[in-house]
Amino acid sequence: MRLVGLALIIGGAVLPPFVLNQYWLHVAIISLFYVMMASSWNLIAGYTGQVSFAHAAFAGVGAYASGMLALYAGVHPAVGVMAGTLLAGILGAALGGLCIRMGGIYLSLTTLGFSEILRIIITNEEQWTRGTMGLQVPGLFTHYSKTSYYFLFLGVALALLLLMRWILNSDMGLAFRAVLNDELAAATSGIHTVRVRLLAFTVSSAMAGMAGALYGHYLMLITPDIPSLGQMFLVLAMAVIGGMGSFAGPIVGAFVLEVLSEYIRIYGEYHVLLFGLVALVIARFAPEGIAGVASRSGWKR
Amino acid sequence: MYLTNGLVMGVINAISAIGVSLIVGIMRVVNFAHGELYIFAGYFSYQLSTVLGLPPMLSMVLAVIIVFLAGLVVERTLIRPTYGDEMYSLIITFMLSIILQNAALLIFGPYPTKPPALVSGATNLLGLFHYGNQRLLSFFLALAVLGLVMYLIRSTWFGKSMRAVSQDRGMAAMVGVDHLRVNMISFGLGSALAATAGVIIAPIFPVTPTGSAAVSLTAFVVVVLGGMGSLKGCVVGGLILGIIENLGAAYISTDYRQVFGFLILIGVLVMRPWGLFGQRT
Repeated sequence: MRLVGLALIIGGAVLPPFVLNQYWLHVAIISLFYVMMASSWNLIAGYTGQVSFAHAAFAGVGAYASGMLALYAGVHPAVGVMAGTLLAGILGAALGGLCIRMGGIYLSLTTLGFSEILRIIITNEEQWTRGTMGLQVPGLFTHYSKTSYYFLFLGVALALLLLMRWILNSDMGLAFRAVLNDELAAATSGIHTVRVRLLAFTVSSAMAGMAGALYGHYLMLITPDIPSLGQMFLVLAMAVIGGMGSFAGPIVGAFVLEVLSEYIRIYGEYHVLLFGLVALVIARFAPEGIAGVASRSGWKR
Repeated sequence: MYLTNGLVMGVINAISAIGVSLIVGIMRVVNFAHGELYIFAGYFSYQLSTVLGLPPMLSMVLAVIIVFLAGLVVERTLIRPTYGDEMYSLIITFMLSIILQNAALLIFGPYPTKPPALVSGATNLLGLFHYGNQRLLSFFLALAVLGLVMYLIRSTWFGKSMRAVSQDRGMAAMVGVDHLRVNMISFGLGSALAATAGVIIAPIFPVTPTGSAAVSLTAFVVVVLGGMGSLKGCVVGGLILGIIENLGAAYISTDYRQVFGFLILIGVLVMRPWGLFGQRT
């Protein structure tokens, strides 16, 4: 039974480039980007209870760092992606180090501030970032092919998911949940709560940096939309609608919302409003999201 | 001149920050939709006075009342179920802020909007320079509101029950304070303060839907700088930020006005994370 399931998943994952047209393959690639973003955000919000509003900002850090290295220093994009990931992780550690010990509210305020400041810097330093015009950067492959990008995104998304799964199943994952459920009890049983939270925040920020860097090289045009709060909201809505604190939730949410947004694109500006209302209703009435509702009604997780 | 601008902005900052601080202090909830309420109030006062033709002063008061009632509804329907779960209240108010921001863009359009000024002309201040009458009036209006809020919180029965709830919810409930009602009214009052700041400033600096994040952030920086839950902190922090932002914008760079606030936030977190007047825990 397990094997059949596994075979189905692998088959489903490998198939898209052969059955989808270029447009839907693009949608699949973007969905995979959102899988990385929503799942890594879920790692901090869903599993350690900290709401970071800088996840999109860290994706922007990764994208701009990698793009600018390739453009101005001639660094190979693959190395640039690593550098972008590292920089996002370092900034995450610095930001988290400042405010995590003060509690969840402070992290949310500071990350919101960080993301707004990053937007201001990017739009104002036009000579380096090209501001709202967008920065044109080289792609990762010499021959542009959506199929190669699809497999790259699939591979990285799977690797990140496996890494998260491994972290969550390790002693560290246990510490995450202990911190989420009862901070005081966790602290009394010898868990360094601040260190646990900081680690989760740093890892998750680095993952966002990597996702953002790859995304930038795929689109080959980096705009301040990547680190915007609108983007942040989309990632948050995916995690909430899919189901926070469950492993499958953000994955489901990312695909559902990305595909849905292709269908309701014709309504233009209304689509953010619509997602907002749906996410708000779900957060209010079914906080465990699609994954939670599915498992409650007897589905296997 | 820049110093005076800073003072005017400082008092407005203080009102807006008290709105955030009240809600944080009493409910442990950060209202991320704070800036949107401020912007909406500015729009309401514009719509009421130019479209419906009401006197500007009446429109301002009505706009604040509308936002106050909206705040009560939001608390009752969205915030109350999240009590005790800080994370969900953060997520819900953030969603609300995105929804309101997009709604404002759709309803009011992306253009800056400015309600009519109450007065015109300028006054010569101490023989130093001419200063717009509208700005002076806004300053005194803001001071009056600040005084009123201080009186409300320090001296009335309602203010006392609010402070009781913020110090010890269980104890307050035991001596007969209806803490759910206090929460609801505090959220409404916090929203109304955002609205007050919005309607007072809108005739000077027009409001735009995209400006709301900056408004929220300024209020948050002031609250952290002054110390969470401290009213005195809001006033002093508001003035400090108003003056620094205006001097910085004048002498260093206008584009980076918001960055000064963020740098202050980082500085406070490094050196004195509990804020100027906050309690060290």
